[in-house]
Parts: sequence; C-alpha cells; structure tokens
Amino acid sequence: MSYDDVEIEDMQWNEELQAYTYPCPCGDLFQITKEDLKLGEEIARCPSCSLYITVIYNSEDFADNKSKNNLDPQKQQPVAVA
Amino acid sequence: MATAAMEVNQKNKQSIIEQKQQQQQDNENQREKEEKEEQQLWSWGAGTDGQLGTVRLQDELLPQLLNLPSLSSAGSVSILACGGAHVVALTSGGKVLTWGRGNSGQLGHGDMANNLLTPKPVMALESYFITQVSAGWSHSGFVSDEGYVFTCGDGSFGQLGHGDYRSHCSPVKVSFFVNKHVEQIACGMRHSLVLSKESSGTLLYGFGSGKRGQLAISTDRIKSVNTPDGTRGFDGVQIITIAANGDHSAALSADGELYTWGRGLGASSDFLSPQHLPSSSKFSKVVLGWNHALVLSDNGEVFMLGGNHHGKLSNPENTTLSKHLSGEAAVLERVPGLDGMKVAEIAAGAEHSAVVTEEGAIKTWGWGEHGQLGLGSTSDESSPRTVSLGDEVQHKDGTVRVYCGRGFTYAIRSPP
Repeated sequence: MSYDDVEIEDMQWNEELQAYTYPCPCGDLFQITKEDLKLGEEIARCPSCSLYITVIYNSEDFADNKSKNNLDPQKQQPVAVA
Repeated sequence: MATAAMEVNQKNKQSIIEQKQQQQQDNENQREKEEKEEQQLWSWGAGTDGQLGTVRLQDELLPQLLNLPSLSSAGSVSILACGGAHVVALTSGGKVLTWGRGNSGQLGHGDMANNLLTPKPVMALESYFITQVSAGWSHSGFVSDEGYVFTCGDGSFGQLGHGDYRSHCSPVKVSFFVNKHVEQIACGMRHSLVLSKESSGTLLYGFGSGKRGQLAISTDRIKSVNTPDGTRGFDGVQIITIAANGDHSAALSADGELYTWGRGLGASSDFLSPQHLPSSSKFSKVVLGWNHALVLSDNGEVFMLGGNHHGKLSNPENTTLSKHLSGEAAVLERVPGLDGMKVAEIAAGAEHSAVVTEEGAIKTWGWGEHGQLGLGSTSDESSPRTVSLGDEVQHKDGTVRVYCGRGFTYAIRSPP
C-alpha cells in the first residue's frame, strides 16, 4: 500500500544510485529511476521493505527528448533547393 | 567514476573486516566485565547500516545485548540520539561518540565513511563539554555547556544552519548562536529547531526545509532557509523542550502545555504556526514519529496524536494513508493496553513507539517489519506489547531507558 504521496521536486537525485530518492521510515531510501519515470511509472520502492510511495510528477517533464530536439536549430536539416 | 566507487567499496569492506575482527576480540574480554555493575545496552530493529552496534549488518528481531568497549570506557551514556541510520551517544562527562551510517558526514569524524560498526569519539568536539545531542535523518546536532551549537551531516536543505546548502563531515559551530545561549537542538528529516535562552526568556529558532510549515517562521510555506530564523507564535510562552522528526515539530511549555506544527498528524492539515493542543493534563515529554506524536503527562499517562495506521503498515488491505480531511485538528488519545501502569519514559521511531513503565518494563507497538518492536517477529502491533531483555535483567534494580531511531530501537539499563 502507498505509504505516502511525494512530489518529484521533494525527492533527491542520488548520483551513486542513479535514482531519485526519498527517506523510508526503515532508514533506507525509496527509489525511482529516470527510466521508470520516462515509462510513466509512479511507484518508488524501498529495497529493504514492503513499503512504497507514489511519486507525483508531470510526465511531460520526463518524456522522451525527441520532440524537444526539433527546436534545436543545429539539428534541423537544411532544406535542399534544387 | 565506477573505478573510484569500487575503490571506496574495497576500502569500506576492508575496514569492515578489520572492525569485525576487533569486535570478536573484544567479545572475549567482555565475559569478565559482566560481573561488574556497568551500564548495559541492547538494540534491535533495522541494522543494515551498522546502526545497531552489533557486528552483523542485519536487522535484529530481538534485543541484542551489546558489547561496546569504546563506549563504556568513555563513561556512562546520558543521552542516546538515534537518527535515520546512525547513533549519537552523549556521556555524562560531556563526550560524544557516533556510529552507523556516515555517508552524509552525520557521524562527524571528518570523512564520509559508511557503516561504522563501533562507537568512535567525535574528536572535533573534544575540547567542549557537550550537554545535549540530536540525530536527524542524515544530520546531527550538538549543544555545549557554554551554549554553542554545532551541526554536521547533510546540509542540502539548509538544515545545518550555516548559511549555505553544503554538507559537512565534521561538526561546525552555528555562528548565528555564538552570542546566544543554546539549550537544545532537535533534528528532523530536513529541518532543525534550536531553543535558546536569552534575556527575554527562551526563544525558538528553525532552519532547513519549511515546506510543511515545520519551521513556523512565516505565514507562508517556506521552501527552505539556511540560516536560523525566529519561530513565530510563542509570544508570552516559555518553551522548555522541543522535538522534531519527519516534517513536523513540537514543543512543551513550562506550564506543561503541548504545541505542534508542520505536517499534519493524523487527518489534520499542515500547520504553519504552533497549535496549542488543549488538555486537562500537564505534559513533561513529547516525542515525534513521521505520522504520530507521543506525550507523557506528569502523572505517568501516555497519549498519542495521529498514528491511526500504527500497527497496520504491513497490512496489505490497507490502501493509501490519505489525509484528505483538512482543517481537522488531531486528537489526543490515551494509549490503550497499558493497564493503568504508569509510564516513566517514552520514545518514537518513524512508525513505531516505545515506553518504559515505572516498573521498568519496555513496551512497544507500531510498525514491526524490521524487528524494531523487539518482539521476535516482523509483525505490526496496534497496542503495546512487553519486550523481554532477558531473565536476569528482570530481577535487577536500576533504571531502564528506551530510545528510537527511525527504524530501530535501543534500551539502556543503568545500575542503581
């Protein structure tokens, strides 16, 4: 059962674990990876116990970057003019 | 990056092996000491970070009698502050020793070494006589008899109070309080409270995360502050003790009145300023979990605030711990199952509770998945159950005290 609802901005990015983390009442950390978030996953689990939290975030913030790259002028293909 | 991490891991493993060998050697010497009347310590609960002070990095479901020569040789323990996965011990001689998880610098040994299995003195505080200590999720606080306060550990929310968001692995004096006289510090998950005695009386300050109103420094939700700011809402009230855990705070006045603020307890909403909880009882002690509070009255009764799910966390049928009801104040409820026994001590972990009765019996209840109830199983308990420290202890006199970290518990028996 979801122990708590936590906003993504309240989670801490852990470089070593390569995951967003939040304290678990057992002393370990609830964890969720960027890949999980990209897939729309919203459960961050604790590796040490049965508890998990629901992560609140805007799925657009973690969606695939392809759509954003279109705005990058360097990546735009020049139009060939015959 | 990976290689450096591997090297650190290798060093940690080597250090752990050496520590285990030392521990085994100490065990052999311990047998003689058992005849002498010294303080005895037990621990149980979550233990994978070395917070239990046992040789094994594992959870313990039953009280483990500890052999900690570095601690007993330092003097008798007067306070044991238990944090996320670390322990800060204060001796009656003003010395501080720490152990457990240290990767945020919370142990104060000048490094970010992890999983310290045995108590080690905090050398940076050697020239001070420390009178009070507190252990938060990943930071620690220390108060000296001269009224200085020091902090170390994670500082990413400003909870160290040094004016930045840096972490420190050695205790640093909080310069804001240099000309004040600090009495207490309380360290929560991402915030700290400091009680200071000034000419106008006692004043309360807060720093760190304030998103849930746990600092009570403003009428707005403050994301975080990294220097101490004055708590509002205590005009004319003399605060004598403070508590912090999770994202909330509590205080008791000289008159025995209880105040809480920050993240709502039970079904209540967050409070950005101290809420007085009216009661016909006068309270002498308050402790906080992440979703509950315990208060001890002058006549030995224990009340609980929030904690509706206490003893139900492992229940698969229980769904979201939702707090959709807003504006409802939490209600003080007398803790059932103590059979009219008077209570002398109370302690709270993140999701469990512990008391010591006047007869010296330890009782625990709440979440039990990591053995933090010390009852020999991983089951939750919704009302107090007696913890057995062992037959020989039952017959002895002396004082028993209990302390809770987030997912673990300690008991200390001091000889009469």
